[in-house]
Amino acid sequence: MKTVGGRRVWALTEVTAALARRLDDIPSVWVEAEVHSLRRRNNQQYFTLVDGHQVEASMNGIVFDRLPMPPADGSLVHAYGRIEFWAERTQIRMRIERIEPAGIGLLLARIEELTARLAAEGLTAPERKRPLPMIPRRIGVVTSATGAARDDFLRNLWARFPADVVLVDVPVQGDAAPSAIVAALDRLNAMPGVDVIVVTRGGGPLEDLMAFNAEEVCRAVVASGAPVVSAVGHERDVTVCDRVADLRVSTPTAAAEAVVPDAARLAGHLEACEMGMIRGLMRARGAAEERCERRATQLVAALRGRSAAAGARVAGAEGRLRPAVRRAPQAPAARLAVLEAALDRGLGLRLHDAAGRVDAAAGLLAALSPRRTLARGYAIVRTGGGRPLVDASTVCPGMRGHIELADATVAADVREVIR
Amino acid sequence: MNEPDPAPPTFEQALAELDRVVARLEGGDVGLEEAIALFERGQVHLRTCRERLALAQRRIEELTAEAPPAPPPF
Repeated sequence: MKTVGGRRVWALTEVTAALARRLDDIPSVWVEAEVHSLRRRNNQQYFTLVDGHQVEASMNGIVFDRLPMPPADGSLVHAYGRIEFWAERTQIRMRIERIEPAGIGLLLARIEELTARLAAEGLTAPERKRPLPMIPRRIGVVTSATGAARDDFLRNLWARFPADVVLVDVPVQGDAAPSAIVAALDRLNAMPGVDVIVVTRGGGPLEDLMAFNAEEVCRAVVASGAPVVSAVGHERDVTVCDRVADLRVSTPTAAAEAVVPDAARLAGHLEACEMGMIRGLMRARGAAEERCERRATQLVAALRGRSAAAGARVAGAEGRLRPAVRRAPQAPAARLAVLEAALDRGLGLRLHDAAGRVDAAAGLLAALSPRRTLARGYAIVRTGGGRPLVDASTVCPGMRGHIELADATVAADVREVIR
Repeated sequence: MNEPDPAPPTFEQALAELDRVVARLEGGDVGLEEAIALFERGQVHLRTCRERLALAQRRIEELTAEAPPAPPPF
């Protein structure tokens, strides 16, 4: 400032600097305005905030790009930032740090309040969640007939399993949506054979998902007789409906996978089960045959032992015969050979018969074995000395004993004799 | 003596029972008689499962959200 001819003259920079000082005192504020003229330069996002009046605004481009709900031209927003004064051009700008759709704070507060209230009633508790049937007779679907969610769901559902679907077309956003969704749930629950209900819609801005944050919708989901799968919005949007549903998935495709099994895999599993049963049966037969075989071999071996003894007797007889033969030289040696052959033949026949009887006996033995009886759930009770207990005459409280089961023996004490 | 179960088993029950039978049979250590009984029981469950799968049909019924017609005014 200088004085020229009694007049105080300010340098322009002194004026703008004074203005800048005044504006510096204004703290950061939230403003509500519409966003217009979105434009990008040098990694900065520029736009104009309009509300009758207008203020130029800027925001860090990286922060702007990562906004969950970036504003479009014309959106009404709440923006938080501070006034900046560009002294060189005497321009006022707002440097924005946070920006979100107007009203979102209110919506979020409402959602939070409802979630807390339903949770306090226990309606979001994990133990309330019911399991879904493996193969539902019919699948109820509540969605918009014109939405992409309907097509995604049906395409993925039928790619897995030829399911029977009842679809109720409802508006999935707007004022009419909540009561229509409630009516659809009631209607599906009244239909026979509807074993599971899927409520689905695609993602969208929070305002569009509000039908699924409506208390009446949440209470209808809770009251549904059939378990409800909620597939609303994208992964990051969790609605209150998601929280009270029996199962929450993030997409219509995931809902399809949750409500039906993969028919091809299931058929493959049944096939494998059948093969497993056949293998098991064949192995059991093989084992039974082997057991019989072993017993037959043992018996044959026992008989062979006797045959050796018989051979010794033959040798003895021969010893006694020889003097006789010598005494009767006319008796041909061939006679002895015939006798020996007959003896052998008789022995062979007996062996053959015995093998057949052993087979039959082995089968009978296996069937009558006490082990087999035990395997059916019976038990043998033995005294401490190991003798089977056949009646209660010698039993008194405090006596010790053993219970023999199919796979183990259990020690037991007699507590009481009830006659 | 086998008493038939009065209520038809659900698909889940039949499948679980089938899995148990297969595990028992495949586990070995099963006598021939028991193996035959298990096999027969498994066949019943297998049939239940296959019949249920064969029943499945791709069908759709689309209903509109129209409210039932309002009662006529007096």
